[in-house]
Amino acid sequence: MDLSLPDEARRAAEVIRRADIVIGIPSYNNARTIGHVVRAANAGLAKYFPQLTAVVINSDGGSTDSTREAVLSACVEDSRLMLLSTPLVAAHRLSFPYHGVPGKGSAFRMVFQMAKQLDAKVCAVVDSDLRSITPEWIDLLIRPVLFAGFDFVAPYYQRHKYDGTITNSIVYPLTRMLYGVSVRQPIGGEFGVSARLIRRYLARQDWETDVARFGIDIWMTTVAIAEEFRVCQSFLGAKLHDAKDPGSDLSAMLEQVVGSVFTLMQEYAPVWQRRTGSTPAELFGFRFDVGLDPIQVNVDRMVQAFRRGCEDLGEIWETTLGKRTFMAVRRLGNSLGESRESFHLDDELWAEVILDFACAYRKHPLARGMILRSLTPLYLARVASFVRDTENLVADEVEEKIEQLCLTFQNLKPSLAARWNGEPVQGGGRRPQRERAAANEMDQTNVEV
Amino acid sequence: MIETLKNILEGALERLQQQMTTYLPSFLAALTLIFGAYLIATLARWLIYRIFKGLTVDKFLRQSGIAFLVDPSGGLRATRLAAGTVYWFILLSGVLLGLNVFNTDLTTQIIQSFVFLVPKLFVAGLILLSGTWLGQYLGRGMLVWAVNENFPSPRRLAAVVRILIMFVAVVVAADQLDFARSVFLAAFIIFVGGAVLAGSLAIGLGGRKMQRFFEERTEQTGDSERSLWNHL
Repeated sequence: MDLSLPDEARRAAEVIRRADIVIGIPSYNNARTIGHVVRAANAGLAKYFPQLTAVVINSDGGSTDSTREAVLSACVEDSRLMLLSTPLVAAHRLSFPYHGVPGKGSAFRMVFQMAKQLDAKVCAVVDSDLRSITPEWIDLLIRPVLFAGFDFVAPYYQRHKYDGTITNSIVYPLTRMLYGVSVRQPIGGEFGVSARLIRRYLARQDWETDVARFGIDIWMTTVAIAEEFRVCQSFLGAKLHDAKDPGSDLSAMLEQVVGSVFTLMQEYAPVWQRRTGSTPAELFGFRFDVGLDPIQVNVDRMVQAFRRGCEDLGEIWETTLGKRTFMAVRRLGNSLGESRESFHLDDELWAEVILDFACAYRKHPLARGMILRSLTPLYLARVASFVRDTENLVADEVEEKIEQLCLTFQNLKPSLAARWNGEPVQGGGRRPQRERAAANEMDQTNVEV
Repeated sequence: MIETLKNILEGALERLQQQMTTYLPSFLAALTLIFGAYLIATLARWLIYRIFKGLTVDKFLRQSGIAFLVDPSGGLRATRLAAGTVYWFILLSGVLLGLNVFNTDLTTQIIQSFVFLVPKLFVAGLILLSGTWLGQYLGRGMLVWAVNENFPSPRRLAAVVRILIMFVAVVVAADQLDFARSVFLAAFIIFVGGAVLAGSLAIGLGGRKMQRFFEERTEQTGDSERSLWNHL
């Protein structure tokens, strides 16, 4: 019996006794959208897995807007609407407040504990603010685990070119470089997880760290990849979700997500130092093009944030970045005075910035929060450059750009490993553009991507 | 006349001899003690240097981030600092022991003051060191926060935090040493009172400006644009 489960959850588990599938939905004040998510989950379970027993669990962070009532009262679709000949039976629906540090990670923890308690074969987790979820998502997240022997199903979305910038500029290239497996949306938010992997997650002792908050997604993906669980991706179409909390802070998000990546990077240093190149995780689902919500960006404001960073954060960057990287950043900052139009933080400098931050994060444990928060202006500079670069590009061309960035990260892996081990860096630092391009071309022919 | 001169000279020589016999052994003993202390201090410095090097204290401080927070330039070497402290402590103790040989009221008073002062000095030093560390830490935290939140004059804000914390540390350290207690306390009250008054005036007079600043900031990060910040 797991003592960290809330009493009512434990009692419910004792009544239900066992379930083949558990669908987890973390929530906090999502009354507006969670009903749709629960209906989609129910319909997906009834349509694709009618022969299996299932439970939909809402793990709530203390909502005050009747989110839990919305879960319990969400009505099931009519069988005829779903084109089903048999009556549609709703899965068990449960809603409990979770214990521990407030955040998505703590919510997932309770879902996983319930899945273990109910001896579930598979557990899928989906966000509660999704507007584009369909019953097919449930099938795509569960089927690879149930019928193809995979342990971890990551989502693969069609996203706007300016959506998911932390994923595109940091988490995806870095995770792929480190662990040699290309999972396009490592912090997607929707996952399918096998019973074996759930046991592994629950056995870990780092649930009270940033993992409990925004770090949970990258933590789940990294543990699965680094510990050689079978990982695949499922194409889910577009991800459209409710506007997030306006008060949420970019620096805090960066701190939690990037901090989780860097922390795991230390734990799995022997793993990533052994791995070279990268291979894509298998992709399931029928790919199709979808219309996406437009995203407005203010490049000038981002450049302005970088300028302020250059003016005021020099003393922190100087001790965080390597000497050459710091000089390059300073030159970039100085160039702002000449012309804002020519401003560009290129792939190699960006990759070096991230790797320097990773090393500094390891080197200065007491100043980690401050180091990570000082990354914000540099991140904004990178996003501004990316936006300018891709202004007139279509989705495939943007994907090609991101691919180039990934290869740049991969090129720098040997120098990262050397620095990590305190060895002198062979040929480190920024190479001339032409040389870099040549190296990238070579890598493109060598690495399977 | 000659006899008188002779008597004076003899008296002077006699007094010199008497003083020599009284103080010279003490002086030589004091010199020996100081020399001995010097030898022990040198030996202790060498030993501590070796032990700290062996225990890789500097590496630990560097890796734990303590060195970075106290001295971001990376120049702090705890090994050298500890060895130097022990060296000067032993040498100073030797000098005091040497003075004690003379057994005068003055030397006894000096030694007593020193013995009572050492623990206080140690505590005051710790307070100042902690103040420096905390000032640096919070100052930098404030700097990064102010830059990310687009606050005006982030470096000034950070400097204010540093100065405030250092000032508090100095006041507490001075209080610990019983050094100009009332002066520091008065200065502290004036400083804090002044800061509160200045803050109140700033909020009163600049309230409208602040409101405009926050409104502009909110407008700048409108819902459509905010989506970029929130989509991971």
